[in-house]
Amino acid sequence: MQVGNISKWSEKNLKYLLIVPTVFLLVALTIYPLIYAVIASLHVINIRTGENVFVGFQNFIEIFKDQYFWNAFKNTIVFTGVGVTIEFTLGLILALFLSSKIVGRNIFRSLLLSPMMLPPIVVAIIFKIIYIPEFGVINWFLGLFGIRGILWEASVHTALPSLILVDIWEWTPFMFLILLAGLQSLPLDPYEAAVVDGASGFQIFRYITFPLLKPVIVIALLLRIMDTLRIFDQIFIMTGGGPANATETLSLYIYRHGFRFYNIGYATAMSFLLLIFTVIISNFFIRFLKTEKVFE
Amino acid sequence: MIKKIFKYTFIISFTLITILPILWLISTSFKNPVDIFAIPPIFVPLKPYLTFDHYSTLFGEMGFMKYIINSIIISTSTTFVSLIIGTLAAYSLARFKLPHNLNEHLSFWVLSTRMFPPIVTIIPLFAMMQFFHLVNTKVSLVIAYTAFNLPFVVWMMRGFFIEIPKELEEAAMVDGSTRMVALWKIILPIAKSGIIATAIFTLIMSWNEFLFALILTQTRASATLPIGVASRVTQYEILWGQMSAAGVITITPVLIFAFLVQKYLVRGMSFGAVKG
Repeated sequence: MQVGNISKWSEKNLKYLLIVPTVFLLVALTIYPLIYAVIASLHVINIRTGENVFVGFQNFIEIFKDQYFWNAFKNTIVFTGVGVTIEFTLGLILALFLSSKIVGRNIFRSLLLSPMMLPPIVVAIIFKIIYIPEFGVINWFLGLFGIRGILWEASVHTALPSLILVDIWEWTPFMFLILLAGLQSLPLDPYEAAVVDGASGFQIFRYITFPLLKPVIVIALLLRIMDTLRIFDQIFIMTGGGPANATETLSLYIYRHGFRFYNIGYATAMSFLLLIFTVIISNFFIRFLKTEKVFE
Repeated sequence: MIKKIFKYTFIISFTLITILPILWLISTSFKNPVDIFAIPPIFVPLKPYLTFDHYSTLFGEMGFMKYIINSIIISTSTTFVSLIIGTLAAYSLARFKLPHNLNEHLSFWVLSTRMFPPIVTIIPLFAMMQFFHLVNTKVSLVIAYTAFNLPFVVWMMRGFFIEIPKELEEAAMVDGSTRMVALWKIILPIAKSGIIATAIFTLIMSWNEFLFALILTQTRASATLPIGVASRVTQYEILWGQMSAAGVITITPVLIFAFLVQKYLVRGMSFGAVKG
């Protein structure tokens, strides 16, 4: 009788029982860290010295006065802004070209997609090998055209652009993939009508493709921006944030405080700011997406 | 005509830029140290330049084998656990009507966890693992990766389940089987290809992950391949050949698996936001 009751109860509440493990783990992954971050950011915590003092908003005040924080913030913005813009432009061109009739389309598609599946760590070492100033293969190639002496990630001036280039190499395929899928799911009728009306290729793109593709574009940008704001692996391996902090992004600066200096309070306060920043930007895009949907 | 030439030139040069760096890594891994930075570069290391030393050194090293084994154990366990937990939740979210529109809220919440930058999660997670004495264990990474992959699994599987008509398991339930049996015997076999695709993505994501591994493992007992590769960079002297070989070993399974799930790539990469 007892067993029957339990199984009846679980059958009735099955819908909740099935979700419980996921909710539990995600609470542990998101809600708990959030609460922890809010509390820890109001303390000075050093796990090495065992220090743990409540300081109110002092961490945040110090962060706003911290020139390295602003440097990391600037680098993150530049990295995201420049990187994602170029990735989007190249990805869109590729997607437009490859959605038309092209010989060997499938082969091109498969080859173009490989970089984004690779571990970022391996991408970093690939470019470390290629970028070596004296003996690297890129400088050899550029030397054939008389361009010499680029120091790539070793120089303060070229380090950040060099790393953005790596990101573009790795993630343009992602833009391309999503935009191509978007293009292929567009309805055909508007195009037929436009061709009948004698619209030019650019007009078709401007007035039909672009508006129809907008929701997909927004999603592609949103996903890339969220991921670029948190960039860590490649920079960690290639430059560690150097030279002279020229490539230090927020994730790296937070890592430095958290796991090099063991300033947990300060690091969590910064990570809290990064989260808020990410949420604000994402919400901007999500709202855009929702209004788009209304008009459809 | 000019337009066509431009189009092909663009595509072909972009494809070359995409694959040449990967081929260069492979080529470097088969060269003797002295030839790696030869000028002019040796593109295809044939007979006098060809060597398998880097690979035999790596595979002869206890440490490196340990990284490989750890990576295999951690990514397969993660895949297994997150697929079971995530599939069940996805099924519930796809099939049942929860009160207060909870379905939608939960689904959106699950998706929104993707907004969390790992660096935000890692410090609290590290504190938690330390509290449970789990730092430097494989378990800590499996837990972290499972939590990390769950939103993805739930979202993917939810999409697959929604596409399967409700009537199928309802028919089975009329015939007297319980819902779980119907799920197991009827729905899961239909969703098989989707499950496999999701599993492969989870496998790749856990295999590639670096930040969590960097922070939660400081010893060889639980360090994964990306850590093994990275450790060859941060030493005083970079062993270029070995590093490349380690890189090639790391990417081989990824490229094979990626090829297998090509069909699902869009859905996987965009979290199901764009139907591919």
